Amino acid sequence: MTATISRIAIAGSGAVAWLAASSLVRAFAQRGLEVTVVDTGPAADAPLGRWTLPSQRTTHALIGLPELPFMRITGATFKFATGLEGWQGDGSRFLHVHGDIGTDIGGLAFYKLLIREALAGRVESPELYSVAATAAKLGRFARPMGDDSSLTSSFTYAYHVAEAPYVELLREHASRLGVRRAGALADVQLDAAGNIEALRLADGQRITADFFVDCSGPGARLLSRVGSAARDSWAAWLPVDRVVAALGPPLQDPAPVTNVRAREGGWTFRAPFVKSSLTGHAYSSAFVSDEMALAELAGPGAQASRLLKLAPGRRRKFWERNCVAIGGAAVEIEPLAGADLHLAQLGIGALIELLPLDAQHAIEGAEYNRIMSRHADALRDFTIAHYRVGAARPGAFWSAARAAPAPDSLAHKLDLFRANGRILLDDHESFEEVDWAWLLLGSRTIPDALELQIESRFEKVTPAELAPLRMHVERLAASMPPHIEYVQRQGSHAR
Amino acid sequence: MKKPLDLVIVGGGTAGWMTAAAFAAVFPAGASRIRLVESSEIGIVGVGEATLPHIRFFNKRIGIDEPDLMAKTQATFKLGIEFVDWARIGDRYIHPFGAYGSKIAGVPFHNFWLRARAAGETASIDDYSLAIVAARMNRFTLPSEDPTAVLSTFGYAFQFDASLYARYLRAFSETRGVVRTDGKVVDVALRGTDGYVESIKLESGEVITGDLFIDCSGFRGLLIEQTLKTGYDEWTHWLPCDRAVAMPCENSGPLTPYTRATAREAGWQWRIPLQHRMGNGYVYSSRFISDDEAAAKLISRLDGKPLADPRFLRFTAGRRRKTWNRNVVAIGLAGGFLEPLESTSIYLIQIAITQLLDYLAGEPRAGVFDARIVDAFNRWIEMEYDRVRDFLILHYHATSRDDAPIWNYCRTMPVPDSLVHKMELFRRRARVVTYKDGLFLEPSWLAVYFGQRVMPDAWDPLADAVDANEVSRQMRTVHEQVQTAVARMPTHEEFLAQYCPGAAQSLGMSA
Repeated sequence: MTATISRIAIAGSGAVAWLAASSLVRAFAQRGLEVTVVDTGPAADAPLGRWTLPSQRTTHALIGLPELPFMRITGATFKFATGLEGWQGDGSRFLHVHGDIGTDIGGLAFYKLLIREALAGRVESPELYSVAATAAKLGRFARPMGDDSSLTSSFTYAYHVAEAPYVELLREHASRLGVRRAGALADVQLDAAGNIEALRLADGQRITADFFVDCSGPGARLLSRVGSAARDSWAAWLPVDRVVAALGPPLQDPAPVTNVRAREGGWTFRAPFVKSSLTGHAYSSAFVSDEMALAELAGPGAQASRLLKLAPGRRRKFWERNCVAIGGAAVEIEPLAGADLHLAQLGIGALIELLPLDAQHAIEGAEYNRIMSRHADALRDFTIAHYRVGAARPGAFWSAARAAPAPDSLAHKLDLFRANGRILLDDHESFEEVDWAWLLLGSRTIPDALELQIESRFEKVTPAELAPLRMHVERLAASMPPHIEYVQRQGSHAR
Repeated sequence: MKKPLDLVIVGGGTAGWMTAAAFAAVFPAGASRIRLVESSEIGIVGVGEATLPHIRFFNKRIGIDEPDLMAKTQATFKLGIEFVDWARIGDRYIHPFGAYGSKIAGVPFHNFWLRARAAGETASIDDYSLAIVAARMNRFTLPSEDPTAVLSTFGYAFQFDASLYARYLRAFSETRGVVRTDGKVVDVALRGTDGYVESIKLESGEVITGDLFIDCSGFRGLLIEQTLKTGYDEWTHWLPCDRAVAMPCENSGPLTPYTRATAREAGWQWRIPLQHRMGNGYVYSSRFISDDEAAAKLISRLDGKPLADPRFLRFTAGRRRKTWNRNVVAIGLAGGFLEPLESTSIYLIQIAITQLLDYLAGEPRAGVFDARIVDAFNRWIEMEYDRVRDFLILHYHATSRDDAPIWNYCRTMPVPDSLVHKMELFRRRARVVTYKDGLFLEPSWLAVYFGQRVMPDAWDPLADAVDANEVSRQMRTVHEQVQTAVARMPTHEEFLAQYCPGAAQSLGMSA
């Protein structure tokens, strides 16, 4: 078998384009796959900074980017959790932690026991049983360690990273791996059959390739030429269509937490970096004017601000003809879950697994679209769920966000949990049972009942038995160093 | 203290007694009161039954002692199913309970086998499956707990006498408080307000009330269909077999640690070796052969002397529209039927029971079961049936046989889109569509694709990135490990004799 796909052109200039380039080169280096990134200029959806999911660590490992230089060069910080404030009304707050809740009891998930306790009138926060949550609240951090069964390894972490240095690092890394650069994109040339033949650059040069990856952001400069414009809109469930953000001075002793606070017309966010911080407002333009949002953001010390417009939703087909869209060109969603790069990397991974063998690839495209549609919809569901769990925050924006019936897949999940505390996952979901448990229990969503057989298996576990675990968790968290000290200390070790 | 859940099971047999045993074992005393009504006048289907490895989870969960169960049900071990004459007359392959080799650099093993084969390698992919090699040599031992050992690369199931199995579970259940009543249901009373089943009335006049009724009455679906008119989705256009004739015979030759399914002129024939006899049957389509002819064909193709008269069964492939309707849950044939080509009958019973156990959240509130739970349960069962269905259709559809009308029909029939997609992707580049829940993992699909001659044109290009010498070395190692491990295994019969010898043969008592 000789594969005839030997050249891939990627259009884009953001993190997704460079991650795609490095990933493809690493996967197919031995086959001599040639990858060129064609610059498309600043994308409409390029953020100033972001919070990621823990999977970003895997992505970095995959492309061979070690953690210490990544953190030192970009000034990134760690993330144990997202801190949600006001989502169930003013004064409400809880953490969605990247880690376990307690430890399994007789093979049963610990959060089930918290449900039993809540049903008995003893509502307790899952945060008391999580090392990472407790550390996050103390502003402390340490990497997980030890064997799988110990509490010291019962959590993981993600990053906060400013976009400009991160993209710069990813670009340099891709170049080191042999990715070529070209630019800037002027237009897209199609062949007689309607496939992309070449990307024409501003200087008149043509970049031909066998397959094209569109990482150009919401404009989808490649796919929009060969694909159908059909999209599924998510606006009925996710009314946020604007994000303004600014970089400001570094926060004082920041916790390893992304703060997202519910507001009248959306939510505000704050994330720490070593040398700066990110603040912003994600809102619905029907409830908040851009002028107002920008004015509010331009506090003292703000360095730059950016306004992004979002059309929440996804393309019906991400892969059409010889082009696949990844990142903002495929899916647009508010950054609440911090999953943009995660979803993009899933797309990159699926492309690697389904890399066309030759010019006939309708079946690969169909499989890619099947898998990635589910991934995208699963992220949609998890994001929507934030607006619908626990007590309903009052206000016109919040009522609007809850007005439409939830998508079936989400309704099924929430309904079953509310009935008996069971969390069911479908194929191709990124968020795991424990993520849903954090969201549901954190928001004080208490089921009407608990699965009978679980209740009976917990019969002998008394509330008093939980005290030692809480104390153990507290001790471990308190023994961690302050977050920013940990970040800086590891930076100095690296030098 | 909560009021216990009153559970009424209608019908004995495998489904009824598995349900009774599971509820009695899993729910603590006081959480449920279980009654089972069966009529000793109505026979149970009780042919030899072959199972899937999942049954071991069931046994473990409810606390069944495996050697004891095996001894008392004349059970043998099962490493897979042998398919004979399916893609072409003369073909034979085993669908094993176990893996083919192991991933190399994260890429599934079969891609490397395809690559080596294209380069002239002649070893069959079967040589890399411990379950297949052991099955072919009639050897067996229990798998190793050490995940690095080649002996951990397979699973096993049982082949047992289903009527003995029901009897075993009955004893198990009765010692755990299940109350059995011998009697025929003559009437069913529905609640006026919402049509829930309130009670059943027996011939004796006794009226039994309950919160939840489990319909294990067999294909007719006494409660789920005859009473509640739930409806049935029929799949005969994809799975045309609608009859079976069963007939046990004496054993001859070594006891095989596998079931055999041989494609025939109007369906297929099963052969299930038990310790004391051989279970046989012919599953056929009444469109393509008469009952008499099917029975005559079966008799002429037995390995040994017949031990009973032929028994005829009728069914329609498909699924009840709702497995759980109001306060009735249909388990076993009452819930649906998929021919036992891949030994899924007991699995489908088991999954309905365990899902029900897992989903139930106490007694109905204000007399009504939570629709959110009922709907989730029904969706799950639907998913299970659909996945098994596609897998079964593959066996019939991926054939080049043109020697009989049934094969011409199946070869050319339109199949579900979900299956078309799976087959195309495999043909194109050896990629198996996998899923998180439901039956049949990658090795099962591989076994049937390869066995049915669905051969890929290419393989995962990521396999080409791995050094060829390194790949051959790893492949050779697996091959040798399998050979060595199997050579050290006792024969199936030796293992049975020391692990779970059945009671002395009592022929004829358990047709």
